[in-house]
Amino acid sequence: MTPGESPGPDRRTVMKAVGGSAIAAALAGCTRLLGDDGDDGGGSADVPDEPIQAGLQTFTEGAASVLGLQTQYGAELAIQRINDAGGVAGREIELDVRHEAEAHVENYQQFVDEGKDVTFGPTSSGGHEALTQEVEEQGVVNVGTDGTVTTLYEETNDDPLYSFRFQNYDVMECVTVARAVVEELGADNVDTVAGINPNYSFGQDEMRFFVKALKQMTDAEVVYEGYPDLLAEDMSTHITEVNNESPDVTFSSMWGGDVTTLLTQAQANDMFDETQIAGTVLYSAVDDLGRDVIEDAEAISGSRNWYWGHPDPGRWSPGRDLFEVARDQFDVVPTAHFHSGYGAVAAWATAVEKAVDLIGGWPSQDQIARALEGHGFYTPSGYHVIRADDHQGMSNSYYGRMTWDDDVGAAALTDVGSFGPREVAPPPGTSASDWIDSW
Amino acid sequence: MVALENVAIHTLNGVQYGFVLFLIASGLTIILGILDVLNLAHGELFALGAYVTSSLVGALVGAAFTPDSGLGFLLVVLAGSALAAAVLVPVGLFLEAVLLRPIYERDEVYQLVLTFALLLVIKDAIKYVWGPKPVRLEGVYSGINALATVSIAGRTFPTYKLLIIVVGAAVTVGLFYFFERTKTGRIVRATAIDREMATAIGVDVDRTFTLVFAMGAFFAGFAGAMALPPTQAHLEMGADPLVLSFVVIVIGGLGSLRGAFVGALLVGVLTRWATWLYPAMELAAPFAIMAVVLLVKPEGLFGSWGERA
Amino acid sequence: MSDDRRLPGVVDRDGERRVRVMAGLELSRGRAALALLGVALLFAVPDLTPLLPGVKLLVVHQGLLFGFAAVGLNLLLRHTRLVSFGHAAFFGAGAYATAVLATHYEVAGLFTLLATALVAAAVVATVVGYLSLRHTGLYFALLTLAFGQLLFAIAQGQQFLGGSDGLSVRPGPGRGGAPTILGQVFAPEVYELLVYYLTVVVVLVGLLVMYRLANSPIGNALDAIGQDRTRAQFIGIPTRRYVWAAFVISGVYGGIAGGLYGVAVKHVRPEATLHFLRSGEILFMAILGGFQTLLGPLIGGVVFFFLKIGGRNFTDYFDALTGVVLLLVVFGFPRGIVGSLGGDRSVRARAAAVRSDPTVVLEWAVAGVGRLGGALRTAARNVRSVFGGT
Repeated sequence: MTPGESPGPDRRTVMKAVGGSAIAAALAGCTRLLGDDGDDGGGSADVPDEPIQAGLQTFTEGAASVLGLQTQYGAELAIQRINDAGGVAGREIELDVRHEAEAHVENYQQFVDEGKDVTFGPTSSGGHEALTQEVEEQGVVNVGTDGTVTTLYEETNDDPLYSFRFQNYDVMECVTVARAVVEELGADNVDTVAGINPNYSFGQDEMRFFVKALKQMTDAEVVYEGYPDLLAEDMSTHITEVNNESPDVTFSSMWGGDVTTLLTQAQANDMFDETQIAGTVLYSAVDDLGRDVIEDAEAISGSRNWYWGHPDPGRWSPGRDLFEVARDQFDVVPTAHFHSGYGAVAAWATAVEKAVDLIGGWPSQDQIARALEGHGFYTPSGYHVIRADDHQGMSNSYYGRMTWDDDVGAAALTDVGSFGPREVAPPPGTSASDWIDSW
Repeated sequence: MVALENVAIHTLNGVQYGFVLFLIASGLTIILGILDVLNLAHGELFALGAYVTSSLVGALVGAAFTPDSGLGFLLVVLAGSALAAAVLVPVGLFLEAVLLRPIYERDEVYQLVLTFALLLVIKDAIKYVWGPKPVRLEGVYSGINALATVSIAGRTFPTYKLLIIVVGAAVTVGLFYFFERTKTGRIVRATAIDREMATAIGVDVDRTFTLVFAMGAFFAGFAGAMALPPTQAHLEMGADPLVLSFVVIVIGGLGSLRGAFVGALLVGVLTRWATWLYPAMELAAPFAIMAVVLLVKPEGLFGSWGERA
Repeated sequence: MSDDRRLPGVVDRDGERRVRVMAGLELSRGRAALALLGVALLFAVPDLTPLLPGVKLLVVHQGLLFGFAAVGLNLLLRHTRLVSFGHAAFFGAGAYATAVLATHYEVAGLFTLLATALVAAAVVATVVGYLSLRHTGLYFALLTLAFGQLLFAIAQGQQFLGGSDGLSVRPGPGRGGAPTILGQVFAPEVYELLVYYLTVVVVLVGLLVMYRLANSPIGNALDAIGQDRTRAQFIGIPTRRYVWAAFVISGVYGGIAGGLYGVAVKHVRPEATLHFLRSGEILFMAILGGFQTLLGPLIGGVVFFFLKIGGRNFTDYFDALTGVVLLLVVFGFPRGIVGSLGGDRSVRARAAAVRSDPTVVLEWAVAGVGRLGGALRTAARNVRSVFGGT
């Protein structure tokens, strides 16, 4: 059956595809959440035949490809599932992936020139800052996968039209980890805090928000802040200072290979005897971290919006399904970055299905953008909403202790807990700083 | 208050880092001193050494040797690293004899363009062979650390770091011995002082040049091999060592091996102290140190190569 | 000199009709036609890019801007023989000047932003020049590199400068807009065009100024300094002051280019503007295009930038692609693109030889293989001698 002949699967087909087939029944009930009474809007003669052209820019090489390739795999899997289910309103999606390098605006322009219907990415925060206004000017919807810088919709683009971001952003993961630390250790037991964070805007921002949030909940005092260069080969100076101060908690927003470097060298210097490490993106090194490091560190890990074992696979199998597909097909333990790609595609595809239902034809970029505003949808990590005011995606965030899992052959989380978006994100229109100050 | 044991550990960290820097910068500076070429691809040779090590030592360690083999394990790792660095020798020979040789007489900007082109090509060759994702060497760092526990001022100090210091010191002694005491070493130095005179007394300058470049490549590769176990090899890894070894050789005096040694330890220790005492200076520290040294002593600490190693 | 000789027009010179562009610059009719074509092409780029898949106006635009910085760098390289490895410092200073003004001081006027970029670059160049011109040769190159990296580290570390995320050049609340041109707000696509045309005008004026400078007594003095500094001093040239002035002018070109980059790209990040690899690229653009020519660095800039960004449309190994092009320059076309096309007799002679007898290509190929074989034999001999003694 070619897409042209098909009457077009209804929106729930796409929802099912990206949400995971096992939750079909649950989804039938949930469509009401979207303001839909369950009618089949169906396809329409106005829906073009040719496939949807999508572009994704992410890091496909270099150190950051540890994050970027996960994002690419996630997007590919979501698209594969959508296409297997008949496409979006009968149209299959074709994905074109570009290495984001330092050319975010150029990549996006290239996508627009090539007639892409939608673009996804980028991974870099600075790149997202550079890109967002270009998206507004060109008017082809971009659903951000990561690029989670807090100021994106607070300052850089405080009235977005076509620019969206699926992934939970910086302040959300920082507050998640701060809350997790208080929950795990107890507010009274956190008197001193240190940080080892990557030496660029992201690392500096994360440390600031983490400390701000922690100080609202405890009497903690910052005893050391170190910022190794991105991809530093040697972090022993910073580790030595942490050992010297023996803080109750050491926060780190390192990602990818830097996490492995930090934890490996920390272990070699017995840092885990001196402090409890807690971090926002530690999970991104899950494919690299060895058993002894994981068991020594007992790290408190906050995750952005995805952990395969939560919600409990016993009651919510899509998470486990996604995990197994990712391992079989891409040979990775899927992380929140995998989910960045998956969720961004899911957000767009389900919103377009909704728009097709409503208008009975293929929606314009404007209509797609309006459909994305306030759009709610399911993925294997649960329910997500794209806020109407600031275009920021809102998902539950997860946290727990990283422990070795023999079945997986990699780190897993134990004692997983979750926070709703309102517990970790400011309401729209309030800056993250003001919001934390107001606690 | 600054605790004394803290000073000791930061200084040791700096010395260890300084030896890695010296391994890289020694090659850069002798190539510069003798061939008069600033090798912009030197950082990529460092990266190549790390990547080859990841495969070679990875295979050795995985196949037969585990940390349980005790001292044997350490020797295998060292031999494997040296072997990986030896792979850089033919690479260096090829680069010098085939690509660099034809352009010695040309304007120096062409040597910069050539070595920059090589930087780009080697980087993509690495990407072709090892793929776009970072690679690492599992088990070696923790394995060697587990061989013996060394405690300094009541703190665990990683055995692997001490190994780097010991190996670095041995290489340094060897290098100085080579240039001060052996005939070949003296010939190389003579060539550096006066190329024409060396030719006149029957020195095969071509051979000397090739030897020097291959040596430089070997030590860059060896530095990469030694730097790999505690961290990862990735496509961008050549850039920072390149710039930092510029800093080292400018501080020491362009082309001076002695200068590179002092410069490397100075940069190693001072950047570690700066990172510790003035964390905000972390990235700027090497360049600030270099600017200060040059304002005080414009020709670098040891002038140029030749009269002394 | 009478007034009419200052005006552009057609003049007779040694019985040949030449086109006078300005005083001191007269072109043969062929050259004039070529120049006219080039100018027309520059202005036509926005109309041509939509027809060429994979070629973006913004890429050509940035190529021109980096190329313009390379034109500035070439004042040092071509005349004083100084190799600057830190020109990104001035490009970045210009770019950051526009960003700081727009973000922190709400300055919207495009020309104010550009003027500040110029001043900022001039200040940075004055200081860096003062400190690094005490040296020549590789020391000078490495010093400029170090100062460039120092600025990079500062930009990366300062919240005020936006850290690694950088700052946008979009003044006003919401940061949605672009700078205003003479008080007018333009739609984004119009604005992009206007800034591009402004770049073209600036580039053309900059080239003419550079030509005048190169052919002025100052240019001759710089040449003399480049050939032999000591001799230049003996014949009474205040070498230090001249080289310093050249350094600052060269930096100002970079600053103007950086300022235009700021208002064109509208977001300035340290990695894209200040990193030492950008400095290297500016240098290699000049050599790729032909550093013995006026136009070469500009053309080199466009080609290099296109290879760097556009190359990714053709291959995953775009870095190696650039590398191979540079190797070709070193071994085949040392005069660079413009030098080889324009005045290289050997290229012309070879082209003529091919026209008269195409089989000559074969002979060359054989000779080339022979040379390669020779080199490899030498290499092998070297290897043997290194290990086996002589």
